[in-house]
Amino acid sequence: MSIIQTKDVKKWFGDFQALKGITMDVAEGEVLVVCGPSGSGKSTFIRCINRLEQHQEGQIIVDGIELTNDLKNIEAIRSEVGMVFQSFNLFPHLTVMQNITLAQIWVRKKNRAESEEKAMELLERVGIPEQAQKFPGQLSGGQQQRVAIARALAMEPKIMLFDEPTSALDPEMIKEVLDVMKELAKSGMTMIVVTHEMGFAKEVADRVMLFDEGMLVEENTPEEFFNNPKSDRTKLFLSQIL
Amino acid sequence: MVDLIKKNIKSLQESLFSSIGSAALTIATTYLVINFFRGMLGFALTSDKDWLAVLNNMQLYMVQAYPEEDFIRVWLSVGLTFVLAGLSIGIWRSDDRVKSSQVFNSFFKGGLGVLFFTIIAPTNASYMGNDGSVITEEVFSMDTRLGILIPVAVFCVIFFSVRFTNINFTVNSSDMVFFYLFIPVALLWFIKLPTIQLDQNNERIIPEPLMPIADTTKIPWTIIFVAFLVSYFIGMYLKNIKSIKSTMSLSWFLLPLLIFSWIFKKPQIDMSVVLGSDLPIFGVFLLWGFLVITFVNNSIFKKYYSTYLGATFLLTLVGVFSGLPMLAKTCLLLIALFSVVVPAVSTSSQGKRSLLIVWAVALVTLTFLLRGGASDTGIVVPGSSIFGGFSLTWLLAIFGTYVSFPLGVLLALGRNSKLPIIRIVCTGIIELTRSVPYITWLFFASVTLAVFLPAGVEFNLIVRVLMVTAFFSGAYFAENIRGGLQSIPKGQYEAADAIGMSPFQKISLIIMPQALRAVIPTLVSSAITAFKDSSLVTIIGLFDFLTIGKTVIGNQSIPVNFVGHDRENLIFVAIVYWIFTFTLSRRSMKVEKKLGLGER
Ligand SMILES: Nc1ncnc2c1ncn2[C@@H]1O[C@H](COP(=O)(O)OP(=O)(O)OP(=O)(O)O)[C@@H](O)[C@H]1O
Ligand SMILES: [Mg+2]
Repeated sequence: MSIIQTKDVKKWFGDFQALKGITMDVAEGEVLVVCGPSGSGKSTFIRCINRLEQHQEGQIIVDGIELTNDLKNIEAIRSEVGMVFQSFNLFPHLTVMQNITLAQIWVRKKNRAESEEKAMELLERVGIPEQAQKFPGQLSGGQQQRVAIARALAMEPKIMLFDEPTSALDPEMIKEVLDVMKELAKSGMTMIVVTHEMGFAKEVADRVMLFDEGMLVEENTPEEFFNNPKSDRTKLFLSQIL
Repeated sequence: MVDLIKKNIKSLQESLFSSIGSAALTIATTYLVINFFRGMLGFALTSDKDWLAVLNNMQLYMVQAYPEEDFIRVWLSVGLTFVLAGLSIGIWRSDDRVKSSQVFNSFFKGGLGVLFFTIIAPTNASYMGNDGSVITEEVFSMDTRLGILIPVAVFCVIFFSVRFTNINFTVNSSDMVFFYLFIPVALLWFIKLPTIQLDQNNERIIPEPLMPIADTTKIPWTIIFVAFLVSYFIGMYLKNIKSIKSTMSLSWFLLPLLIFSWIFKKPQIDMSVVLGSDLPIFGVFLLWGFLVITFVNNSIFKKYYSTYLGATFLLTLVGVFSGLPMLAKTCLLLIALFSVVVPAVSTSSQGKRSLLIVWAVALVTLTFLLRGGASDTGIVVPGSSIFGGFSLTWLLAIFGTYVSFPLGVLLALGRNSKLPIIRIVCTGIIELTRSVPYITWLFFASVTLAVFLPAGVEFNLIVRVLMVTAFFSGAYFAENIRGGLQSIPKGQYEAADAIGMSPFQKISLIIMPQALRAVIPTLVSSAITAFKDSSLVTIIGLFDFLTIGKTVIGNQSIPVNFVGHDRENLIFVAIVYWIFTFTLSRRSMKVEKKLGLGER
């Protein structure tokens, strides 16, 4: 059963059309990698899925709920969908622990002790339990991104969205974040990952998609995508980045 | 010890006289400084000064001519403030620890301050006798001076040298507050300062060689100190109770209102009216609010909610023009507005509970204020219709920040709102208020405001001044805070959205804390400005702290002639202003440092 379904999603920024009718679906537990050249609408598309951007035409159905202007639906979907940003966006005025417990306490209405226990568990999972009492500004980029992943996981989401999670990181730190993501994929989480890390796509993706100029150009298994692409656009893209 | 002094002298030599150039610079600067402050030094060293003008008029400085039989109200207000402060310090007790060397250091500095004041205290005081001749009397003999100087000097030396021993311990910084406060309270019982009191024949009464300072205030202050201490412990004990912090914040917000109403008015508490009218009305509306909150999510009630709203508004309209008591009319209006917001806020059981608390507190306050405020028996102050002095300055300052700060937050948010109508109204209020000088607003409050208020509604002059002050500093706060809001990156909003926070949670937990932190320095300087600007109220005939010193005491000739003692009074006033503003800015630096932790 598909957990995310989009039908002919279109989105304009003023006169500029960023998405030109995207139709796709994601099955539960699937790992989907989205790639494509800069400005092709990848970010716009995954940001539409948790309504950080508002699409103007078409349908987006997440876990059986259609995204409309109804605030209740939006909040329900947002607490089902975790998001990790390129620039981490941790809350700088809160400690790592508070960053992770905040949504549990205020959105999930859990008590403090319970949320802190959960937060420690997650910090252990991403490999930085010793940093709990520090502030984000005192951590390295890779550590910050792992905190951001823990923060999103704290809501116990069914789906995780990653928008170029490693693009702002130094090469040595990319691996530690990718390792966490791989572990997450193996645990059966549904994931949509926008990334230029082709190694990651080859290793963990169930499916790879190529966006270009607001359109979904190719959708394929990783083996086919990298070895035997259907469209010429994909061949060009691969030749540029590999 | 000797080594240490040698080392210090050496480092002084190195830093001040390292080369010919710097030696010349040192000497030139010293010369300039001495010349510049010569007048001041001369004033400090001669006996041609009379601090009695200040000391004798302490009461006037504090409360102007507030009637003595009502002082209990002032003491209660001060006491209540301290009890709340004690509770808050207990609840928010910090884990910071202060090193013993720092404590000794501040004792040393405090001792130096006492030494200074003992040295500059006047020896003689003159006053005018019955026959018009000037009588000079010794009020501060050499013996007393030495009696103070020598022990304090010893005290200073001890605390200076104890820093070089290896006595080393730390104290909780919250506990230290009590210790520092204990010192002045204890001193009230011991320190004696010269005063002049004359009997009918204009002979000086000499109770003891010296009058104990603030003889009338030591007992109240001691009681307040004890209450402060007790509430501190209670606060520590209550620390873990849920929602205690929000209750405290709410109490802080209501405190000025409460104090204000009881310093001003003698509420006529007529038991039959309270039991026969106030309590039933209060009960009915409390129940009404409770029912609305409870059933708001009930499906049937939800369906007819708009009908209910319409009916309530209609009822309010009818009620306002009927002969209902004022309290009932106001409550009707409130319940109608309240019903509008209930569905949005009471989505969770926690939200419902806090909503109910807010509703109950609002009703209590309203009942109290209307009962107190409606009674005609205001406190009559001889010579003018209101009180003045430091309590007026303080009230304006507290109000200038307490009420205007939340107002500023709301205005700033409103100005950033997506809804055009809210944005336009808020921008209008801010721009209108800021573009007119404060003095103009004060005249507006004293002369014009009454014309704009609905017929039958009348406010005391001070209330009107407070209203314009709240808006005036609110507008400045709003602009400062808006600057802070603009500095928050878009990613913070998105991150908060992405974890499912409601707009209210997003603003209050993520955006506002960061925005405020970014603008603490400007906020503090606005608050300081508001504090100092409160002295402008003198031009509409209010007697603030400065006016008492400059105009009232400066023209006093009975029982003791203080004409021409402006200098002493102005210096005293300046010192008091300085103490408060300096403390405020130091505090804010500490807060900034503490909050800055996350920025690193
Ligand atoms: N808020 C906005 N207003 C106007 N145009 C926008 C906005 N956000 C994105 N766009 C435009 O939409 C297009 C798609 O942007 P998007 O960020 O989705 O690209 P992307 O595929 O994520 O690129 P990159 O790999 O560089 O992140 C771009 O041409 C961009 O200029
Ligand atoms: Mg992008």
